[in-house]
Amino acid sequence: MSLLQEERNIILSNEFVDNFDFAEVEEFVKNASKDLFISYNFKTKNKMLVQPRGGFPTYNKMFALYEYFVDANVDVLPCTIDSNTRLNDYATSQKMLRLSEESEVDMLNGYPLINHGYRTSRKMMTHFNKPISLRHGTPDARLLIETAIASGIFEIEGGPITYLLPYSKNFPLDKAFLYWKYVEKICANYSKLNEPINRESFGPLTATLVPPCITIVIQIIEMLLSLEEGVKSFSVSFSQSGSVMQDIVTGNVIKRLAKYYANEIGCGDADIHLVYHQWMGAFPEDQNYATQLISMSTVVASMVGADKIITKTKQEASGIPTKEANAETVANTQYLLRILNGLPSFTDKEEEEILTAEVMAIMEAVFNDSADTLWRKAFNSIKSGIIDVPFSPHIINHNNMITIRDRNKNIRIIDRGKVPIPDRCFEYEKSKCDLTKDTTSIVNDIIHDIGIMQ
Amino acid sequence: MMKVITGVVGNDIHVVANRLIELSLQARGFQVFNLGVNTYLEEFIDAVIETDADILLISSLNGEAEGWCREVKLLKAKYGSMLDNVVFMIGGNLVVGTGNAKDIVPRFKNYGFDLVFHQVDLNTGLDELEKFLEERKR
Repeated sequence: MSLLQEERNIILSNEFVDNFDFAEVEEFVKNASKDLFISYNFKTKNKMLVQPRGGFPTYNKMFALYEYFVDANVDVLPCTIDSNTRLNDYATSQKMLRLSEESEVDMLNGYPLINHGYRTSRKMMTHFNKPISLRHGTPDARLLIETAIASGIFEIEGGPITYLLPYSKNFPLDKAFLYWKYVEKICANYSKLNEPINRESFGPLTATLVPPCITIVIQIIEMLLSLEEGVKSFSVSFSQSGSVMQDIVTGNVIKRLAKYYANEIGCGDADIHLVYHQWMGAFPEDQNYATQLISMSTVVASMVGADKIITKTKQEASGIPTKEANAETVANTQYLLRILNGLPSFTDKEEEEILTAEVMAIMEAVFNDSADTLWRKAFNSIKSGIIDVPFSPHIINHNNMITIRDRNKNIRIIDRGKVPIPDRCFEYEKSKCDLTKDTTSIVNDIIHDIGIMQ
Repeated sequence: MMKVITGVVGNDIHVVANRLIELSLQARGFQVFNLGVNTYLEEFIDAVIETDADILLISSLNGEAEGWCREVKLLKAKYGSMLDNVVFMIGGNLVVGTGNAKDIVPRFKNYGFDLVFHQVDLNTGLDELEKFLEERKR
């Protein structure tokens, strides 16, 4: 028996898992309908795929949510996991699921997949014959991913960096890299049986003034870590920045450089897709404004040439949105995409050149780290501040980089910390800002810039 | 240079304001030790003693500060004179749901804080801190 299979046996002999039948699951994946694979949908559907967010604790409520989405003509269904499962606390999610079932009150903020088990969940996940995307935020997702694929969920979101730096203060980053290595291996192995399992990175990060070069570097590193384990279908992503120009430039650069680096490590045969998140920052309370903002996101996604868009709702400012609000957004987004045809493509050559140089300089510094494997190089680069995510709560992140918006709402770096962007790029970024202000006014600017869409 | 310990109390991951507090304090010439989010009261007090800080600035956004801060008096009693000259300051969104500053400020002062700011903008709060330090010098 291989070492990996030994590890799988240990993970799946968890007390919350009802005996896991490896042979049966393999047979299921081999014969699963191709429509369930988003990688197949990317290849065959000639449109931007629309995917909402959403998850409820009980089977019945989740099923009802899916029915609503299907009525709204959804392309990809979400399966958002509750926060206890994300922290591997299956005892609490079990208890809260029972309470939700008995009292009609939702005691969980998502679907506790492990407690429902793959045999039950599979009935729902295959019922609608649409691809399902696993949305979670779990540093140790080994058991969750095994259960997801066995249930018929063939897209897995996340990664060791993007699911840790925005969400945790002190979960050890090196452990996260190793747990995700397992996830990549499992996805790669199942990919050989039918259409490939798609992996998607979480580009929004902290959704607070993150400069494009940092977003792209982290997207590319997570993609490479995935491809080197044998994953054949991968989505890089980012969220609306607040500047249309910057989004278009970011889209162009990330598409080009993702292909370039995939080729560099000899994985040019993998399919790479681009995902765009509607505005992920602070939302306006006014639901009409929120609707306008969401529509604008859809237009930008079209200009960026995204393969998939992930939606928000007009209720975003006031808590977990209802299924009605969620379905409404899906229908609206589909409508807008139908009437948005023949957009001209344009770019800003100078901005694109500067951004490319920034990303390549940071990537070079990561590759030049003396460690022997890519995950260790990435780990060291975060530890030494070569990669620095603004507003990350994690203790390993340096937090030395400072960004503000210029007059046209572009995110600019005014303090690069230890991030090795070339001097000429740094000068260019600063030249766009008014740096004569004192720090107190700059802090006031940052406070204003965070809520740019309010 | 005066030393400030700052951080967000309890199970609260709201990091944005915390980062801005650090920047603003540095700009005003303080030496800042930022303990970040999810910090417990004991950790704050330990850091104050370890660095011999002049000021402890606790922030909270998720409204659960009250549950944590009731212990401040007990801790002050435990450490005795070691904390006598430390300015205890708290700011942010200090209660779950809505409350008004008229009730909240005296309540938190009673828990052992010298300066209390409920839903007050950052620079106003820091101006008040500097005023308070000036007056204490006299």
